[in-house]
Amino acid sequence: MSTVNIDRLLKRVQKPTRYCGGELNSVIKNPADVKIRYAFAFPDTYEVGMSHLGIKILYHCLNLRPDVYCERVFAPWIDMEEEMRREGVPLFSIETRTPVSEFDFLGVTLQYEMSYTNILNMLDLAGIPLLSRDRGEDCPFVNAGGPCAYNPEPLAGIFDFFTMGEGEEVIGELMDAYNEWKAEGGRRIDYLKKIAKIEGIYVPCLYDVEYNPDGTLKSMTPNCPEAKPRVRKRIIEKLDEVVFPDKFIVPFMDIVHDRVSLEVFRGCIRGCRFCQAGMIYRPVREKSPDCLVRDAVNLIGSTGYEELSLSSLSTSDYTRFAELADRLLEFTEKEKVSLSLPSLRVDNFGLGLMERVQKVRKSGLTFAPEAGSQRMRDVINKNVTEDDLMQSVGLAFDGGWITVKLYFMIGLPYETDDDIAGIARLAEKVVERYYSSEKTNKRRSPSVNISVAGFVPKPFTPFQWAEQNSPETLRRKQQLLKDEIHNRHIKYSYHQSDVSVLEGVFARGDRRLCDVLVRAFELGCKLDGWSECFDMEKWRRAFLDCGVSMDFYTRERGADELFPWDFVDIGVTKEFLAAENERASRAETTPNCRQKCSNCGAASLCEDGKCSVYAEESSLRAVREMRKA
Amino acid sequence: MNDYCLIYEKTDAAKYISHLDFVRVMGRMMRRASVPVAFSEGFNPHPLLVFALPLSVGYTSGCELMEFRLAEYMPPDEVESRLRASAPAGINVLSVREGKSRMKKLRYALYRVTPERLPASADGFLARKETVVDKKTKSGVKDTDIRSDIISIGLADGHIDMTLSAGSEHNLKPDVVMKAMNKYIDGYDSGDCEYHRAAIYDENMEEIK
Repeated sequence: MSTVNIDRLLKRVQKPTRYCGGELNSVIKNPADVKIRYAFAFPDTYEVGMSHLGIKILYHCLNLRPDVYCERVFAPWIDMEEEMRREGVPLFSIETRTPVSEFDFLGVTLQYEMSYTNILNMLDLAGIPLLSRDRGEDCPFVNAGGPCAYNPEPLAGIFDFFTMGEGEEVIGELMDAYNEWKAEGGRRIDYLKKIAKIEGIYVPCLYDVEYNPDGTLKSMTPNCPEAKPRVRKRIIEKLDEVVFPDKFIVPFMDIVHDRVSLEVFRGCIRGCRFCQAGMIYRPVREKSPDCLVRDAVNLIGSTGYEELSLSSLSTSDYTRFAELADRLLEFTEKEKVSLSLPSLRVDNFGLGLMERVQKVRKSGLTFAPEAGSQRMRDVINKNVTEDDLMQSVGLAFDGGWITVKLYFMIGLPYETDDDIAGIARLAEKVVERYYSSEKTNKRRSPSVNISVAGFVPKPFTPFQWAEQNSPETLRRKQQLLKDEIHNRHIKYSYHQSDVSVLEGVFARGDRRLCDVLVRAFELGCKLDGWSECFDMEKWRRAFLDCGVSMDFYTRERGADELFPWDFVDIGVTKEFLAAENERASRAETTPNCRQKCSNCGAASLCEDGKCSVYAEESSLRAVREMRKA
Repeated sequence: MNDYCLIYEKTDAAKYISHLDFVRVMGRMMRRASVPVAFSEGFNPHPLLVFALPLSVGYTSGCELMEFRLAEYMPPDEVESRLRASAPAGINVLSVREGKSRMKKLRYALYRVTPERLPASADGFLARKETVVDKKTKSGVKDTDIRSDIISIGLADGHIDMTLSAGSEHNLKPDVVMKAMNKYIDGYDSGDCEYHRAAIYDENMEEIK
């Protein structure tokens, strides 16, 4: 056991509180007292990683066990990395400053594709071989989970194993298996074979992959009896019963989301066809207001945070939202804690709540119609009509808001130029709505900001077969939209398209991308999520050097094609996704889960084969009545 | 008005907290302690905390001073014990008193600097007519003569103790003095230094605490 000395380094870098540790509620154990040391890594900087709720949950889960000590690891910023490399300081844990190579596990959470090079850089800084096959018996088990792990193949050569789905239970099973394996005195491969039997665990080296002459996947087969042909994701069925931290670490520095964040439910009832989160987190499962209020009181008390936020894919869809909001506000108003409610639908109820929450400041409201024309919104199954939007915007304008932000996507499947022009038309109607109302203040002028992102097809969505627009096509569409905007109240911004292409390539990639990733890292790619660090030229060269074409991965996929991620069972079936894609091509919408079950397959993950959406039906009715009253 | 003043040490990891972040750290400590701190009015109410003299990142201190107001009276002993129990590592509560401090009268501060190497003597340095270094001011980096803000420098036991002007009108930080010593003392190279604020004084050189 050793530790690194970073005191000298901390004097020379910006924001030393990224590295110094010692924050309130960080867990201190004596490493000599535990059997397993687990390094939990977030492959980005401290302020990004510390904002992530998942890391807080699993850190808590692991540290509840007396036999495990879980510590945090983040990617150093460029200045710190330079100092570390110059002084020969390896990647270290925040809590005890132990070199990461000395841990038993290195767990990495995969939140977005553009963090992949950071993983390689961190392994390199830790002195751990980049590829799984090169790791010796005393290396940590390098593993990953998180949303991007649902298509683990581009990272198949790098990680020893992956966890599919929610980690609270399975992480304990992995620790138990480790203790057993240690007692048995097995080799590294024996542990991997042992855990391949656990539901939700994928060990890439236990599978062989064959390709067709056209480069598409021919087959993926287990090469040992322990490996399952299909790996089924894990879910926590009863969220009220699973452990949730009563303490959050309180960073010394200002991080991206610096507040108590409560997860009100997992999954989403909406079924937007572009949205991966809406599919992979199914079925919908809620926490009870009792449980949430308890967590809020505990966490504000133990952290002293001045802000409480609710986290979910669509807060307004929480069945007992009115009750929850009332009870939380009763607490937060008394304690002078501010309550923030992201992804709230704007209707009379929502707006009233926002006024109560935000008191006087009317900064700006955000809406996500996602597409400009009704036809296109039907294609993507965004069940919002123009009337809905106009009504919401109208309520906001009449209520004193003057700035609205509208999110859109371009490059969607089945899109025409007229759909794109529809974005401009819709934005103009929003501006008109301000001037046509008698209740708005005409001495002020509205500001409508439209933010446009290029669509990236993701695995496990109805659009997983779609072609991703090339940067050239996207640029043409961006220009087309720009030419359609003739109103000085409309501000238009769009995202960098090069990053979207790479994101798309890795999202729907296969094992052959591992080499590209390693090459990109060798060429110096890292912190690709930071625009000041991203360098597309290096990436282009990496693809060229490896003889891999980006176009192969952004192309439209064949109807019968076997996908690299098909072996993962997320509950939602490929048949359902295909049927949804069919409906999209005809611009037909699908009702949300509460209106009608569409048999997506996610219910099969529940013990009794029944989705909890229906169990909530009675409380939903209660809410409707309450809102009417 | 329920005014209090808190004296605390800032050491260990806490020395890396910037002043801006530190204001938030102390606000959260108050909330955890359930001390009924008074809030400002307005859209964005924040706890009414006033700090004597911002401490540079990397400096430790044994004499930090913060004033605050409570919305309702609480005995200072009670406030003190609650804050002590809620403080994060590296922030050590020394005392809480009722009433305002003499914060506004702050004129000087004593710093203990621990360099890797001591100079043989500081006498020649102090006797110089001109001691000009580039110093960060509100209007950018400027060549500034710092001599008048150095009250005294003493060498002892591997440390350099220096009393310097402090406060809103004249303020000199010991790292700037070290830069000057490296520049003006022939052949002197201090190496990396540790900085510690040991005391603050009013215009009569009486310690404020």
